[in-house]
Amino acid sequence: MRFSLSWLADYVDLGEGLELETDPAGRHSTRRITEAAQRKASQIGEKLTSVGLAVEGYPVQTFDGGGRAASGAGEPGLEVEVTSNRPDCMCHLGLARELAVALESTLRPPSIPLYGSLSSDGSSGAVVLEDPEGCPRYVARVIRGLKVGPSPEWLRRRLESIGQRSINNVVDATNFVLWEMGQPLHAFDLGTLPGGEVRVRRARAGERLVTLDGKERELDPEVLVIADRERAIAIAGVMGGLATEVTAATTDLLLESAHFDQRRIRIAAKRLGLHTDASHRFERGADFGVCDEASRRCAALLAELAGGVVEEPAVDAVARRPRPVAWRLAGADLARFTGADVDASSIERVLSGLGFAPRAAGDGLWEGEVPPWRAADFEPRRPRPATAAPAGAPGEAYPQDLYEEVLRHVGFARVAPTLPGLGGVDAGVNPGHALRGRVQRALAGLGFAEGIHYAFHDQAADDRLPVVVRAGAPLALANPLSERYAILRRSLVPNLVAAAEFNARHGAPGVRLFEVGRLFPGGAAEEIEAVAAVAGGPAGGPWDGPAPCDLLGLKGIFDALLAELPAGPFEARASELPGVTPGTGAQWLAPGNLVVGWFGRVASADVPFELFAGELLLSRLAVEPRPRRVVAPSRLPSVRADLTLTHPLDLAWSVLAAAIDAAPDPRRVGFRIKDRYRGEGVPAGAVATTITFEYNAGERSLTQDEVNESQSRLAAELERRFGVAREEPR
Amino acid sequence: MSGAGTTSGGAVPTPEELERLAGEAEAAIAAAGDRAAWEAVRVHWAGARQGRLRELQALIPRAADRKMFGQAFNRLKSRVEAALEARDAELARAEIAARASEARVDVTLPGRRPPTGSLHPVTLVLAEIEEIFRGLGYSVAEGPEVEEDRFNFGLLNFPDDHPARDAQDTLFLEDGRLLRTHTSPVQVRTLLARRPPIRVICPGRVYRNDNDLRHSPMFHQVEGLCVAEGITVGDLKGTLEAFLTRLFASDTKVRLRPSYFPFTEPSCEVDISCQLCHGTGCPTCSGTGWMEILGAGMVDPRVLENCDLDPDRYSGFAFGLGLDRVAMNKWGIPNIRSLFESDERLLRQVRG
Repeated sequence: MRFSLSWLADYVDLGEGLELETDPAGRHSTRRITEAAQRKASQIGEKLTSVGLAVEGYPVQTFDGGGRAASGAGEPGLEVEVTSNRPDCMCHLGLARELAVALESTLRPPSIPLYGSLSSDGSSGAVVLEDPEGCPRYVARVIRGLKVGPSPEWLRRRLESIGQRSINNVVDATNFVLWEMGQPLHAFDLGTLPGGEVRVRRARAGERLVTLDGKERELDPEVLVIADRERAIAIAGVMGGLATEVTAATTDLLLESAHFDQRRIRIAAKRLGLHTDASHRFERGADFGVCDEASRRCAALLAELAGGVVEEPAVDAVARRPRPVAWRLAGADLARFTGADVDASSIERVLSGLGFAPRAAGDGLWEGEVPPWRAADFEPRRPRPATAAPAGAPGEAYPQDLYEEVLRHVGFARVAPTLPGLGGVDAGVNPGHALRGRVQRALAGLGFAEGIHYAFHDQAADDRLPVVVRAGAPLALANPLSERYAILRRSLVPNLVAAAEFNARHGAPGVRLFEVGRLFPGGAAEEIEAVAAVAGGPAGGPWDGPAPCDLLGLKGIFDALLAELPAGPFEARASELPGVTPGTGAQWLAPGNLVVGWFGRVASADVPFELFAGELLLSRLAVEPRPRRVVAPSRLPSVRADLTLTHPLDLAWSVLAAAIDAAPDPRRVGFRIKDRYRGEGVPAGAVATTITFEYNAGERSLTQDEVNESQSRLAAELERRFGVAREEPR
Repeated sequence: MSGAGTTSGGAVPTPEELERLAGEAEAAIAAAGDRAAWEAVRVHWAGARQGRLRELQALIPRAADRKMFGQAFNRLKSRVEAALEARDAELARAEIAARASEARVDVTLPGRRPPTGSLHPVTLVLAEIEEIFRGLGYSVAEGPEVEEDRFNFGLLNFPDDHPARDAQDTLFLEDGRLLRTHTSPVQVRTLLARRPPIRVICPGRVYRNDNDLRHSPMFHQVEGLCVAEGITVGDLKGTLEAFLTRLFASDTKVRLRPSYFPFTEPSCEVDISCQLCHGTGCPTCSGTGWMEILGAGMVDPRVLENCDLDPDRYSGFAFGLGLDRVAMNKWGIPNIRSLFESDERLLRQVRG
């Protein structure tokens, strides 16, 4: 939000350096931007930043009009980030109030004529308040005999200095008050209002209105409107209507200065997609108390600039008064909460300057009422059941809200750093988090690079590759960034395949990537933590000598990963899977045949090598918190013996291995596959599998005879069950 | 084998003869030019079954002065053994030297590297942060990424239809839920699930409807939360200083500026002295000497009440830090989007 330094100087003494000029009405302006002025601007910017109004830039507005375009001519400005809790600082007077406290100076509010007004409870005369929630206060002031015309130079410059455009003296006067006092005003051409009457009500379903921007808008009962006896003439707090607009021919007008409900204005602005300076303020919370004052300020300007006569009394209809909020602050509590030692005079100075009017209420104790312009930021304390307050009693502010006001201005630098006086460690445990760390470290150790991808992808990706857990349709975004990011993923693999393609396009001869992340099975099903990996091509250069990845290479990565985790045993079951080359797919099964993942060769990926992928649902692995126990090895070396069995190709290793396990032999302590061979001597449709057996009798040495006996017994058994005759060598 | 050698045939040699034999043996051992010759001379003198020493030892009982002969024999034996050992060591050194010249390798050639992987920069930054906070007694809490409005906004004191929500462009699901816009919902879930004292950090992915050169629709935050009796603004400041001077350079300066978040009161933005220029001002910090690093504040009393905690009894602080920016800063990654495109050429350079 743009602010003008010379405008701020009207209300607070900014000190030397800006080379301000003052006109007979006491208005300040700057003709030239000097280095000193720029230094001053940044000093003021730092002050504002230090109290929570972050100054993000120092724009300079130059002027071309009036023949004054000398070099360096212009107004120094401030670009301030006003947070949404500070609608009171969205105007020069409000910002000046903060600045006056920060600079330990005094605020000089403008002097405003006391035009009479007739306050009433509820509707009164020309003002009918049909929705007291939506519009609790409406000041209608009539000004007659105006002459609409151009604004004087000082006003044009004021508006231009904050990036606004001058329109005519009437519109400019309302805008000036908006940017001075923060109160949005609206001027209706009185001649267009039958009976000079306005009503504030909800729009009717299907009711239409052409707004000032020339667009016809369809309204609905969620939208609050200003209406004449029959039709809507303005969208309350958002934008006026074209039919009642002030034109060059306007002589009499009705000036609206109202208070509208934050929520109601927000809803209307969102529904209509119409965001204006007025709605921006009302939806953050305007100042209930300023309505009449702002109206008088504007009326005086209209009298001055356009020769209007202010009619008295104005109507000040109040349908509902906001509940005042009382505050109490104990210096000792402030010190306890902040850890800063703040002296009593600083507390009083800050709270007085900010309009909280502190009254001493005993030793180190102050109380007062929250000023109406801060109401939106001081939502009162919820009534505590034990102390039900009588109806109409003021609300009670949270003391923390007051601590913040004081602390903002005395500064966090006054707070001495300490550490919480808590012993020991926190009681929370999170085994899932620890498991993720193990998986990440294991896969990085196995040569994979960790990637992170968006949690969304397109619908086609969900259909293209295997999904272990589907709970109905995938979760779809209501406002996706694009169709590419339409749904939440149920597998990590599609993004990893896309990443493999990205790397291949950039010349990579191979990829090794993994990701750990959440899967969203759909519906209300819980999120699942998963890990997935893709691999293809060689892992290094030819010098390093690695073979390109193949299916069992990828499976081995998962074997090694699973061996890291205290869970299982897991087995792979051949399975035809979508998007996986037939004959290469498998599901990972946990004990109890629970499917916990899959792996296989990706059937279609735009990469110049075979690409393999696998996924494992970490949330489904029953990981034991304790480490696995070990078996103490024998003191004596084992005896190893190989056995080659020629068997049909379609005999699964898992069946063969199970058969070995099922032929118990107390001397056999293990076995592993050594080789598989097809070729000369092995008939078609068969394969020769060589298995290394390990024998050990624990406390004594085995003789070769004992080993031979064990081995031939097992060989005979396996031959009998699975063997095929070997071909004689030719 | 018998009759070979000057002292065989049963005659008991004199001590002087033994002395002479020692000299003979030493000369023969020293003359062994290779391993085979050494072995032959060893067998000749010190062979276990038929070596000369063995034969001479057998003569001890027959010596006239057995004590004198025994002592002379022992001297002979030690000299022979010492000579064998010394020659053995010389031969071994010579062999190593000989092998080395045959097996010369250009050691400047690259080694054959087993494949090595890498952890994502964000993972590494988080691990570092976790370690710091574990040292301060914190545990790790996590929550869902698909959230309900009340956890992401309502209970955190974002009123319905309030512009404070605009600051967090939200990605909504068609079923009315949303992708969490910050990790703060985990605060609320933790405060509802447990009673103080609570010290947790809550890391995770968060989402915003924002996609341009500087913004990614998904990024990472870590939230810190400490709630107990008597927690002060000073505790917040001290904790952040302890944290940031460990995560960044130890001489890093920390500055708290008042700001606004609906769920903290008072709230602040936290700046650290620019890590590039150390506070003198440079393009990275827009000449200010400071870098905005996180948002923090004292847990708003309304949030405590929303979680059934009495704000007159308990107080606490919370802070939230974006991990991605820290990672980019640490490794000089220029573009946030390159964190999420898995270019192995970039990822594999990253080391903790």
